[in-house]
Amino acid sequence: MSFFDAFVQGFALVAQWESLAFLALGIAIGVVAGAIPGMSATMAVALTLPFTFAMQPITGILLLLGVYKGGIFGGSIPAILIKTPGTPASSATALDGYPMAEQGKAGKALSMALYASCIADFVSNLALILVAGWLAAFALNFGPPEFFTLIVFSLTIIAGVSGDSLLKGAVAALFGLLLATVGMDFIGGTNRFTFGSPDMMAGLNFIAVLIGLFALPEIFSHIRNPKEREGNVRKLGDSHLTREEFRGSLKSILRGSAIGVFMGSIPGIGAAPSAFLSYSEARRASPNRENFGKGEIEGVAAAEAGNNGVAGATLIPLLSLGIPGDVITAIIIGAFMIHGLTPGPLLFTNHADLVYALFIGLIASSVLLLFIGWFAVRGFRYVADIPSNLLFPSVLVLCIFGVFAINNSIFDVGVMLVMGLLGYAMLLLKFPAAPFLIAFILGPLLEDKFRQSMLMSRGELDIFVRGPITIIFWCLTVISVVLIVRSTMAAARIRRQQRRTSMPPRTGTNG
Amino acid sequence: MKKTVLAIAAGAAVAATAPAAADYPNRPIQMIIPFGVGGATDISGRALSAALGKIVPQPIVVTNRTGAGGATGSVVVRDADGDGYTLLYARVGTHTTNPALNPNLPYTVDEFRFIGVYEINPVACVVNSNSDIHTIEDLIEEVKANPGFVSFSSAGVGSMPHFAGLMVLSVFGIDDVDEDVIHIPTEGDGAALTAVLQGTSDFYCGSTSPAAPFVASGQMRPLLVTTPEAVPGFDAPTSADLNMPELEVMVGWTGIAGPASLPDDIAGMWGEWLAEAVQDAEFLRIMEAGGSQVRLMDPEESVRFVNTAADAFATMARELGITLVD
Repeated sequence: MSFFDAFVQGFALVAQWESLAFLALGIAIGVVAGAIPGMSATMAVALTLPFTFAMQPITGILLLLGVYKGGIFGGSIPAILIKTPGTPASSATALDGYPMAEQGKAGKALSMALYASCIADFVSNLALILVAGWLAAFALNFGPPEFFTLIVFSLTIIAGVSGDSLLKGAVAALFGLLLATVGMDFIGGTNRFTFGSPDMMAGLNFIAVLIGLFALPEIFSHIRNPKEREGNVRKLGDSHLTREEFRGSLKSILRGSAIGVFMGSIPGIGAAPSAFLSYSEARRASPNRENFGKGEIEGVAAAEAGNNGVAGATLIPLLSLGIPGDVITAIIIGAFMIHGLTPGPLLFTNHADLVYALFIGLIASSVLLLFIGWFAVRGFRYVADIPSNLLFPSVLVLCIFGVFAINNSIFDVGVMLVMGLLGYAMLLLKFPAAPFLIAFILGPLLEDKFRQSMLMSRGELDIFVRGPITIIFWCLTVISVVLIVRSTMAAARIRRQQRRTSMPPRTGTNG
Repeated sequence: MKKTVLAIAAGAAVAATAPAAADYPNRPIQMIIPFGVGGATDISGRALSAALGKIVPQPIVVTNRTGAGGATGSVVVRDADGDGYTLLYARVGTHTTNPALNPNLPYTVDEFRFIGVYEINPVACVVNSNSDIHTIEDLIEEVKANPGFVSFSSAGVGSMPHFAGLMVLSVFGIDDVDEDVIHIPTEGDGAALTAVLQGTSDFYCGSTSPAAPFVASGQMRPLLVTTPEAVPGFDAPTSADLNMPELEVMVGWTGIAGPASLPDDIAGMWGEWLAEAVQDAEFLRIMEAGGSQVRLMDPEESVRFVNTAADAFATMARELGITLVD
């Protein structure tokens, strides 16, 4: 079958109303599920899976992919409106999205999230179609040592989300690393900080920690100080983006898409680190650096581009090598297998029509996401209009339900509440939550990859410089640390100068 | 007064412990999958639950309780009342290999009552097709020539591939498996196979189903299967071809278990329901697509099967000296 035949047959498979309808349905399910706190894109895909068993392969797989893509975008809606990321990947979106909602610019933030998601999704799909082979070869070279150096580099993100005090950011990150060690040790099987509890053996649930750390402190501070916002209904704001706002963020969107494609094609990383990396790169490059974390629209754009850029690219190792890149693609592999299709190199030979149908369907999904997301933004932004004395109790109920639903475990709810108290204490003491979270995500990966590498090399450290990829990441890490030190020192100098100018002039100063 | 209180307490105790099988089930039944969504246990368990839903008079609620290699979900069922409303999809990892390898597990196999093992997964050993290793003998020679340099990947500490890798080598005469090969735990079967594909590890022994696509595409080469019958798609010697019947205990399985206090009559009812559910066409289709063999054992046979396997593996782990220590 020639390329053209396969393409035409693929087109015929997609150009049926069922294919497009199920793709659209999937995106709609995903957006709504992603928007419910505690209901992640992973869960939505898993719950949809059994319904696809009885469908045609292409419709079933398009339905699942729709849920996946919709879910990743949907997570940004509660992240922006109520600081409750629906999916881990959208926690970076909350950093600037929620301050924007506070300032009455929820509509703008949501629109930016949507445009950034769709553009990144489109770029990611194009990468899948055009350079899948090249990226798959790259993914195969990405073993534990390469992974380890990538995580080391990613930890430098912490500096970018630490806010005013790098020291406080570092302390918060150390706390995150520490809590990430709770549970059964992955390599040795020993129990760490579990106090004999089987619940603790599983570690602290990621979503419970996330919601506790982000959403609950907002609610607690409202309970303690309800007067602050009494009667001050936040405005929805205009959801129209100006040409300047869009143009100003376009570079960050494209950079975020590229980061997403790169991170997505490596099995095992997922969307959350990609969103944070994209966010911190955007902050580093932006002239409005000071405004990041305080409601900078470019921050929303970068975070959303970073996490949606992963969506198409995770299919690269799946389709070309048969390797699941993350939990969601592992579920999608299940769907392929049920239909007697085996993802991997053979898929392109034996089912080329299906592969091209998937490609066309994916491109269509970016456009459908734009339409469905547009309606979702218009529907959901009214949440911002709810008076806070109604909104916050409802959010609390939703958080508890959502966290319980992950595992049907009341223990997880307890984790969320304790993390909420910790998060509130951090808020009062002005410790940033984002470094904590990044360390909590990356900590286990860092440890596992380090120990896997050590097992591979029988304890020789030179495995961490075994090839060009590791060396590139070491160089990037060094550059990044140097830049952080320089900018921290520059900021300290500026502060000193400001203090000096506000004080009576002294003689004999030197730099 | 005291007597009345005692009588009431006794009455309540009788009411609580009396097997309520007469009206069982009168509310929804929760079935816990101790692994994540989309994994092999999840797909198998959900497919069977769908078939059971057509037969069991009450709805079946499937719940995933993940973590600690299936230990967290298993403990939930162990601690549940033995009234038949909380059941577990147990697997070779949770109830054979992990208990044998890991003395720190918070549960033991005899704290469960099995009511039906329904699925068997053949085990195969595979290597990367670029590897110089073409047969199991090549692998053994390689390990003997370079002790401590050959590695294998698994789905985690205590998982079936962890045990299988060590066990297969020891059957073929590697004495000190704990020292002579290196075990690299990964996040799951998918990641373990990725490690073989990337060259991070040299081989993988585990269920044939996740390995099948890589063998079919020529990315990996099978060295052996542990069943006496050939496995479709795996062009490799069987235990019979190799004349190694010891390998045959190394198979994966999935079954349903309740807490140890589960009464006989409820177990009996499940035996009948399962016998009907495993005939379901959709269930069989999903099992076949996943490369699993459906083989239902009645409650007595299931208990025997699981206990025998658990004992055999525990003994083997001790003899090989591969039990984890804390």
